[in-house]
Amino acid sequence: MNVKAITAAFRQQGTQFLADPQWIIPSIIAPFMFTVVALYMYSGAGELDSPIVLTAVLGGGVLGMWGNMLFSSGFTITYDRYNGTMEPIMLTPTHLIDVIAGRSVWNVFIGMINAVLVFISAQLIFGVGVSVADPLLFFPMLLMTLFSLASIGLMLAALFVLTRASYVITTILEFPIYVFSGALFPITALPEALRPISYIFAPTWGVDALKTAAISGYNTPMASFGIWFDVLMMFLLIAVYIIASYFLFMRIERNIRESGTLARY
Amino acid sequence: MSGEHEYPVVAEGLRKTFRHTRRSGLPDKLAVDGVSFNVRKGEIFGLLGPNGAGKTTTIKMLSTLLIPDEGSVRILGMDGIKDVKNVRQRINLVSGGERGLYYRLTGRQNLRFFANLYDIAKVGQEALIDKLLDIVGLTEAADIKVEDYSRGMKQRMHIARALVNDPEILYLDEPTIGLDPEIARDVRSLIRKLAGSGKTILLTTHYMFEAEELCDRIMIISKGRSVGYGTVAELKKMVPDTNIIEVVTNDDPHDTVAKLSSEHFIQHVNTERIAGRHCTRIQLKDRTDLLSYLDTVFSKYGIRKIGYDEPTLEDIYISLVGGEGQEDGGHHR
Repeated sequence: MNVKAITAAFRQQGTQFLADPQWIIPSIIAPFMFTVVALYMYSGAGELDSPIVLTAVLGGGVLGMWGNMLFSSGFTITYDRYNGTMEPIMLTPTHLIDVIAGRSVWNVFIGMINAVLVFISAQLIFGVGVSVADPLLFFPMLLMTLFSLASIGLMLAALFVLTRASYVITTILEFPIYVFSGALFPITALPEALRPISYIFAPTWGVDALKTAAISGYNTPMASFGIWFDVLMMFLLIAVYIIASYFLFMRIERNIRESGTLARY
Repeated sequence: MSGEHEYPVVAEGLRKTFRHTRRSGLPDKLAVDGVSFNVRKGEIFGLLGPNGAGKTTTIKMLSTLLIPDEGSVRILGMDGIKDVKNVRQRINLVSGGERGLYYRLTGRQNLRFFANLYDIAKVGQEALIDKLLDIVGLTEAADIKVEDYSRGMKQRMHIARALVNDPEILYLDEPTIGLDPEIARDVRSLIRKLAGSGKTILLTTHYMFEAEELCDRIMIISKGRSVGYGTVAELKKMVPDTNIIEVVTNDDPHDTVAKLSSEHFIQHVNTERIAGRHCTRIQLKDRTDLLSYLDTVFSKYGIRKIGYDEPTLEDIYISLVGGEGQEDGGHHR
């Protein structure tokens, strides 16, 4: 792991974000819109300060952040292909994974800012009671959930290096997390045969941890193991994703050195 | 002196085929076919050839971006295919064209990003960036976004980016392509300056005059194969039978030139207007004495001068490559 390169990529992504206002759409506006939609869906029930509305805010926020993470992972590779900067990066002794990791950390940072914005606006504009039961647990869980999303983004970014169709793929890949993470609806609503898919998504455990920390009395079959089991599962799965990403990047770097397709756009 | 010190770049039997997917229906393309050469320390070595000859593929194999199907690459004594990380610390590559920089970042931000990827120490990093900007003459544009740079400024920024790790070997892939003549001259002058500072430079070009002006040694490459290799003087010896006749006329001999180009004894013929006169250069296939014949043929255009001439690099190139990729409107058989 090359911390200097990760930091450089983080700064580069940040500078580019500030220089290019279009990033505000996927990073800030889209997650916010997700939350608003979820709020309106659930506010039909009447009580805006009920736990179910808080669940909606959390779920909408997580999905919005996932969309941003996915879009950013795909876009960052496409952007490098378009700019022709993939080759100069590959020419350096730094591994591509470190550059993409730095950009993913930036996405986590933006995700945190976005989460704060969602909570403030839910409270101020919609009057939703979003007081979380255990703030000391909630914010570390939020950060971890964001890292779990970023680690999936990192793994997918390796695949995006191979293709020029990352936009299409990101659109398709947005949906599995909607269905399997438990962010929009509890995974107990899924057919039993499909639930193992949920368990291999780190964000599923993140969503569960967030709800456990935010809603007093929250109880699901997953939550019955306790929040630290969620944390353990997230750690394990993030580690698996990062290790898989490393091997994927190594394999793909070799593959593009053999095929010579890096400079194509 | 060890090979590593004398020849920092050694390529042996490089071969590369680009394979298309079955779905594309396109045949595989043999881009480089058994190319071998070495580059001496501190020299400017040129790969000269028409578009699609395999120059860029060769330079990419030498700079770790491509793995050859066959052959070996030794860079500064290291395995240029396997010892990628160490090789990359000591080389760099400039590609011609508009791409390769972050447009939304300033020149300085671009350089800072790449300096960090080369693990350049923070202490002294800004001084290094200032120095590089000064070398390429972009000090005043340092804090302007690259998207506002002219084509020439972008090319100079490419060079600054490629110098960020102070490479011992610098690859330049068509460094002046698409540049205005004046800017291209500045870039060539910069290349000479870099070679003067001790860097080993390998450049690709399809501009004859650029190769002749800059390169100590040249390899002419055509259809993936080396067809000539050495100094310009050595290359001239490779084609001793080349017979060049130059005719300077008052009027445009265009019709005759077109007819001559289809004659079996002509290798190549082209004409251009220089200082109000028409200069026609005829390359014969062998040492046939056609001076009196051509004197008759061109007499109606008002001959100012006619005679044999020494072959230039361009003539040698045409003789070896067959005029492929010539951009001067010449005719050849």
